[in-house]
Amino acid sequence: MPTLPSPLPVRSPLSGLSPVRAGCRRAAAVLASEWIKLRSLRSLPAVLLGAAVFSVGLAVLVCSDYQARWAGFDPRRRAAFQPVDTNLGYLQLAVLFFGALGALAMTSEYGSGLVRSTFAATPQRGRVLAAKTALVGAVSLPAATALCTVAFLAGQSRLAAPVPRAGLGDPGALRSVLGGALYLALTALFGLFLGVLVRSTPVALSALFGIYLVLPVMVNSLPHDALWHHTVPYLPSNLGAALWHTRTTGLAAPGPALLGLTVYVLLLGAAALAQVRSRDA
Amino acid sequence: MTATGLPRLRAVAGAEWIKFRSVRSVPAVLLATTLVLLLGAGLVSAGFRSGWSTMTAAERAAFDPTYTSLRGIDLAQLLVGALGVQTMAGEYAAGQIRTTFAATPQRGLVLAGKALVLGSVVWGLSTAACLTAFLLGQSLLGSPARHAGLGDPGVSRAVAGGGLYLLLVGLLGLALGALLRRTAAALAALFGLLLVLPLVVGMLPGAAGDRIAVYLPAAAGSQLWTVARGADHALGPWQGGGVFLLYVAAGAAAALVVLRRRDA
Amino acid sequence: MIEACGLSKAYGDTIAVDGLDFRVEPGLVTGFLGPNGAGKSTTMRMILGLDRPTSGSVTVGGSGYRGKVWPLREVGALLDARAVHPGRSGHNHLHSLAAANGIARRRVDEVLEQVGLTAVARRRVGGYSLGMAQRLGIAAALLGDPGVLLLDEPVNGLDPDGILWIRTLMRSLAAEGRTVLVSSHLMSEMALTAHHLLVIGRGRLLADTSLADLIARHSADRVEVRSPDAVRLAAVLRAHGGEVTGAVDGTLTVAGLGSARIGELAAGHGWVLHQLRDLTASLEEAYFRLTQDAVSYRAAVAA
Repeated sequence: MPTLPSPLPVRSPLSGLSPVRAGCRRAAAVLASEWIKLRSLRSLPAVLLGAAVFSVGLAVLVCSDYQARWAGFDPRRRAAFQPVDTNLGYLQLAVLFFGALGALAMTSEYGSGLVRSTFAATPQRGRVLAAKTALVGAVSLPAATALCTVAFLAGQSRLAAPVPRAGLGDPGALRSVLGGALYLALTALFGLFLGVLVRSTPVALSALFGIYLVLPVMVNSLPHDALWHHTVPYLPSNLGAALWHTRTTGLAAPGPALLGLTVYVLLLGAAALAQVRSRDA
Repeated sequence: MTATGLPRLRAVAGAEWIKFRSVRSVPAVLLATTLVLLLGAGLVSAGFRSGWSTMTAAERAAFDPTYTSLRGIDLAQLLVGALGVQTMAGEYAAGQIRTTFAATPQRGLVLAGKALVLGSVVWGLSTAACLTAFLLGQSLLGSPARHAGLGDPGVSRAVAGGGLYLLLVGLLGLALGALLRRTAAALAALFGLLLVLPLVVGMLPGAAGDRIAVYLPAAAGSQLWTVARGADHALGPWQGGGVFLLYVAAGAAAALVVLRRRDA
Repeated sequence: MIEACGLSKAYGDTIAVDGLDFRVEPGLVTGFLGPNGAGKSTTMRMILGLDRPTSGSVTVGGSGYRGKVWPLREVGALLDARAVHPGRSGHNHLHSLAAANGIARRRVDEVLEQVGLTAVARRRVGGYSLGMAQRLGIAAALLGDPGVLLLDEPVNGLDPDGILWIRTLMRSLAAEGRTVLVSSHLMSEMALTAHHLLVIGRGRLLADTSLADLIARHSADRVEVRSPDAVRLAAVLRAHGGEVTGAVDGTLTVAGLGSARIGELAAGHGWVLHQLRDLTASLEEAYFRLTQDAVSYRAAVAA
């Protein structure tokens, strides 16, 4: 037989609070709710773990292979070897894990229909998106920094004289490692906003692979004429490459590259916000 | 299969066709596939035309105008592959698969019906789109860049090969969808096989990597729509296509075994 | 209280909801009836601010849903019990909803207890039966101890115990002065639960009335008569314009003549009546009369 609902224990009454403090209280509640959702999904740690194993493994594999084959290389190939760039090559692929992480944070809600409960609990949809953005950023930036540092140290540990190796203190090395981490974290946000816009896991994942993997290979093979120099370096993947390469030809400088990537993420975020507010859930 | 096999397959394929065409996203994906093929042809061909004067003699000699105008396949395979994955994994996500298997307990027949429907739509559409992309690309390349005609050696085979390649990608996606049942996992496996694996192998120095690389699914399959011979170890068009077909057949066989053994 | 004013929703050329005006009052269980595709779910989604009306407006407790700061403390809703991420536990699902509205965590355990899901609260929702998922959805609706409840097909998938439980729960929630709007296809269920009814068909309001009134107004006035002289009585009644069916075992069903007139006619011939009673229609009959013209998909029946 039914028990009647007991009076509601309200944790945070808003009456008597200033509008600013009430707004903060509301934002904190949305953040707490999104955090519970994020941490109670198995796919989140699975994707992060997959990214870590893949990245560190590939860095170690590539560096070990160079170490083993060094004796057979001709002088030109030896001169062209860049220990940092070779080590960080995994970033071309790790970026997909982070993009997928961001996308799944949103598309999994659309896929199951949970998004209706989410928006019924918090009709201020902009705040839901803001909370997701903050959490995806707060999870992916430290994770990416740790991943890039460990993959760098593990990769370099496989290199020994006569193969040139780098330490974090060498010029440009730390910048490349942190640049790589920023690239990964920004891509997670890119994936999140893409997920809001397309609302479907397969479409979001296909688009991520297309933008970050297929498009760069396709256009990098074109002849490097003036038109190429004014367009191709500004693809997200090439801006990212400019962030983590110590030596690049034809790509943007690291500063403008970071700015460009940020602008992409902000534009996509603005489009996502407009969409989430106007469309029926 | 007994004497009733063929009519049964026809009925199953008919049912699968109704399901396939009534999913709302299917026309959008097919339209996007066509657009991406034409857009890829337009952009890449225009890029080579504008940069032709900056290319060295060696680069010009290695230039493959047919392959260039079909480069949109690289993007189109994402869409066609996703369509294949979703044709099977989408039914699992919605729980529809139980109804499907209740209607046709011969699960191999269901997979065959889906392959027939997906395959004929994808093959027909991408062959037509590849031909259009080829003609568009060649008209853009024009002079000064080198361009090809359908009568040139290997060209019509490459244009038809583009459609065959996309057909096989779609079927591989279908098999992986049946094998893994979950959209995200099957897509990751498909794209990992086609796109990530070659990059990983490419990062490894040494000739061993090159020798393996040509047998990877995408590299082998892309020989179907290439005219010029690329790397030293590269397979010929039909060997390459055959290797890719083996991957798809292996995937389909695994899917068949798993579909029969596993509870729906 | 829920108030709709000229509420309309069109999807392209299809008009799902067409100028609804209604008030759902507190203290009553209001049943929301209509055939499939009549616009019930669309209306509920608009009440919850999930879909925007094409025109018109709807308010809950005097304000629009999307302006509410802590909506779950005012409005609880069960829309689609399966709209939960299958990989999450029931407890975590409710906990995230509670956190979004500043509701104490203790309350999550309370509502889980109340719907009888405590034992499976830590299990993945993907493994729940339909009835368990339905109970989880009801728990989510009760979470904020709201003054207004919206329940879309709440008895779906529940066992007889569960149906009795939800029926009693809805009645007692209304008795506490809450506003309860519940949609269902099950007429017998509605007849037992609802005090007031909103009936819609093809997106339009067909009736906004009490249960008793709807039945009274849409009953055909039929009378049941039992008499040892049934056969002769039937002939007389037909002669006076009544439509008579039956006569086997002495029972007649008469339409078109009131019970008073039948009694007079029998008395005039000196025939004994063992029974004379007015037949009231069931809610189902009344509903079918009302919606006959409004059923969107009756081609199959008509054909």
